[in-house]
Amino acid sequence: MTQIAEELLYLPVMAKVLEVESLTELEKLFLIQLPDGHSLGNAPGQFVEVSLFGIGEAPISVSSSPSRSNGAFELCIRRVGDLTNALHTLQPGDTVGIRGPFGHGFSLEKMKGKDILFAAGGLGLAPLRSLINQVLDERGSFGRVIILYGTKQPKEILFKEELQEWADRKDVEFHLTVDRGDETWRGNVGVITTLFSKIALNSRNTVAAICGPPIMYRFVLMELMGKGIPETQIYLSLERRMKCGVGKCGHCQINNLYCCLDGPVFKYSQIKGVEEAL
Amino acid sequence: MAENGNGSARPKVAFFDFACCEGCQLTVIDALQTHLELVEAVEIVQFREAMTEKGEDYQIAFIEGSCTRKEDEDRLRKIRAQAGIVVALGACAHIGGVNALANLQPSLQDVRQYVYGDKWDWYNTYPARPISAVIQVDAFIPGCPIDRVEFLSVVKQVLLGKTPAIPDYPVCVECKLKENVCIFDKGGVCLGPITRAGCDAICPTYGDGCEGCRGLIPNPNENAMQDVLLKAGLSVEQLRARMTMFNAYDPAQIEA
Amino acid sequence: MSLWIIDKSAMATFVANVMGDYRVVGPKAKGPQFAFDEIEDPAELRLDYNTSILPPKKYFQPQEERLMTFKRNGDSAPEAVIEAEATVIFGVHTCDLHAMRVLDQAFTQNFPDAHYLTRRRQALLIGIECLEPCDEHSFCKSMGTLTISEGYDLHLTDLGDVYAVDVGSEEGLTLLKTYSDARLATESDMQQLNRALSAKWPRFPYKLELDVDELPALMSQSYNNPIWETLAEKCLACGTCNIVCPTCFCFNVYDEVDLNLENGERSRRWDSCMLDVFARVAGGENFREQRSARLRHRFMRKGLYLVERYKHLGCVGCGRCARLCLADISPINVFNELHE
Repeated sequence: MTQIAEELLYLPVMAKVLEVESLTELEKLFLIQLPDGHSLGNAPGQFVEVSLFGIGEAPISVSSSPSRSNGAFELCIRRVGDLTNALHTLQPGDTVGIRGPFGHGFSLEKMKGKDILFAAGGLGLAPLRSLINQVLDERGSFGRVIILYGTKQPKEILFKEELQEWADRKDVEFHLTVDRGDETWRGNVGVITTLFSKIALNSRNTVAAICGPPIMYRFVLMELMGKGIPETQIYLSLERRMKCGVGKCGHCQINNLYCCLDGPVFKYSQIKGVEEAL
Repeated sequence: MAENGNGSARPKVAFFDFACCEGCQLTVIDALQTHLELVEAVEIVQFREAMTEKGEDYQIAFIEGSCTRKEDEDRLRKIRAQAGIVVALGACAHIGGVNALANLQPSLQDVRQYVYGDKWDWYNTYPARPISAVIQVDAFIPGCPIDRVEFLSVVKQVLLGKTPAIPDYPVCVECKLKENVCIFDKGGVCLGPITRAGCDAICPTYGDGCEGCRGLIPNPNENAMQDVLLKAGLSVEQLRARMTMFNAYDPAQIEA
Repeated sequence: MSLWIIDKSAMATFVANVMGDYRVVGPKAKGPQFAFDEIEDPAELRLDYNTSILPPKKYFQPQEERLMTFKRNGDSAPEAVIEAEATVIFGVHTCDLHAMRVLDQAFTQNFPDAHYLTRRRQALLIGIECLEPCDEHSFCKSMGTLTISEGYDLHLTDLGDVYAVDVGSEEGLTLLKTYSDARLATESDMQQLNRALSAKWPRFPYKLELDVDELPALMSQSYNNPIWETLAEKCLACGTCNIVCPTCFCFNVYDEVDLNLENGERSRRWDSCMLDVFARVAGGENFREQRSARLRHRFMRKGLYLVERYKHLGCVGCGRCARLCLADISPINVFNELHE
């Protein structure tokens, strides 16, 4: 066989944890720096493979936007298994293995000049935040910015201070809801789709970016279609088991698509009718 | 607590047995002899089969055997109350194992008379059950007996703070990875397609069909397995014997 | 390239000479069946084998393979492990040579995989032309894999007392010239080879009820066919079909540590999309929970998805999956039934 440039695809680099911030009972935000001053060079919506040796490796969406990198990036990690439990014990100064960034992120160029509607459910805000802040940092290039965010309960709300900043901005339309309130909750109660009645959209000129649990997509898509937003202007970020991240191991395959190569961000027109997608 | 090479405390470990042959504990003793690092990694405070000391301060309990008597339940609950992590050791503790064959008999009293003769009423047994029918169990090491490598793997996972995972795929996978000639091609029968792997397909590798000692995989297609076995020439009685040798236990047997 | 002739009686010397400088592997008897294994004595090499339990892909993507070693204490980076040695593989059937093209694409496209490609580069493939069907399960002729004109370094055809040796690469030619006393074929050798090749075709049945080029189109129309539900009733989801398939390359990754918890290694092992939890994510959702969905996915990969991505069919008609399927599920029957 002829020689071609090949890579040690599975070998992580050792990155340093700079800061750890507890966001909720289940989620922590990690600020991570690659060795030797390397920049991650991610596009919004891409993911990295995070390793703790002996425990394992898992794909995690990058939560910070390239426009705010400062040589480091953020991961918002929910505690759901052995690896994420162990990640939650990390302190500043500790190291983690990182590979990536991988996958196909949001195409910012195609969103320029358009109104942007973000719909995030629960932990789905983590990858969308990367895009939201990028858009806000280039605010002049976009039309309206509308952010809809829903969680099950108030205590699950992520990035509270940042949400307040978004809410305070005159050039951002921000709506928050929870499925179930508590005694201190004064805001909207209801699933995320109830927020759609609060907004009027110029559908032809709107691009939507959605991320959330599988159940959310179907209902949000129905709302978006109902408002006449073209399928080619709806972007979704999907979650699969992207074990290798490089289109080999097969675990993230959705019919003929590899979530790790062709996604995790898909245009709705790309996956409409692809049965295993939604 | 004693220290290990890492400078961290060695967890205290205890072994217990209920209705069983103690063969799994024998495998543990064997592993202790072949892997001396194991003695460095944990501190064994109670192990009736291997030592006379009997410490009651432990974090990890390995339990071999099925629960077959009402009195066993209290002892199991006491262990559960003390141990941070309870591990079922072997088929009897994991799935009821061969002990649960008694549950299939029409009368448990007949079974007791058959086994214990005229002293049958000295032994107040009830339908055999896995220990998870009585207490919450954190990890399982399947098999009759357990696999030494898997035992070590579970110990390491516990020491790493992981939830010990055992294979959720069938023996066929391990058997084919070893490129064994299929038992069915040799004219035999095998439960490999629906039995949980982790034994490195030891029985088929040495020419014997799998008898299911590690329990079934999640969502097994038992009907299809039975069709295959009947087609391979088993009678209905032989089929039933094969399917229930280790997997006779059914929660319905202890409802009442 | 060029055609050579080697006496069968000189094969043992050829193999023995190669063994001096390479690891030599090839088909060997394993009980009543055959398996590719290291040749320690040229007499063990069974070029007359019908089929092997596992395909020779295991020399490029081993069943289990270390990717790296690591230390858990401190910040030291993991060290990559690439286990490769110069290897000559004798006796690769044409179906398996076709399958290698899928694997080569899969491990080269987008992200070239150094572990696979290093082994691939260090190996020479010596094919052998099949003159009789392996058994009733194979359907290579239907899949267009009954012969091949590239993808090997040397390719043998049994001509009775001699083998015709077709040279497929410079490395193959060097191997042949260095380690054997093969001579260039004459006009009459070529005629004998052509006679053997034309005589073999009628011996192989064409079992597919459609043209193989139409298979991807057929599969793309078969997504909602009820056959997947029907097959799922008897499928054991044991994973055997994936494990023995020459074009399956999915894997899972595992970390293993020493008992002192200080050192460890990360490995990959063949995985199977027929298994229950293959598509389950960390949160617990399983995107292919139904056995029928997994079965369909496997056949779609073989007949459609791999062609779309790698330009080669994922089924080469070797028959290994059908031969070992306890539920008697054979791709050829599935394709034909979908065609009805």
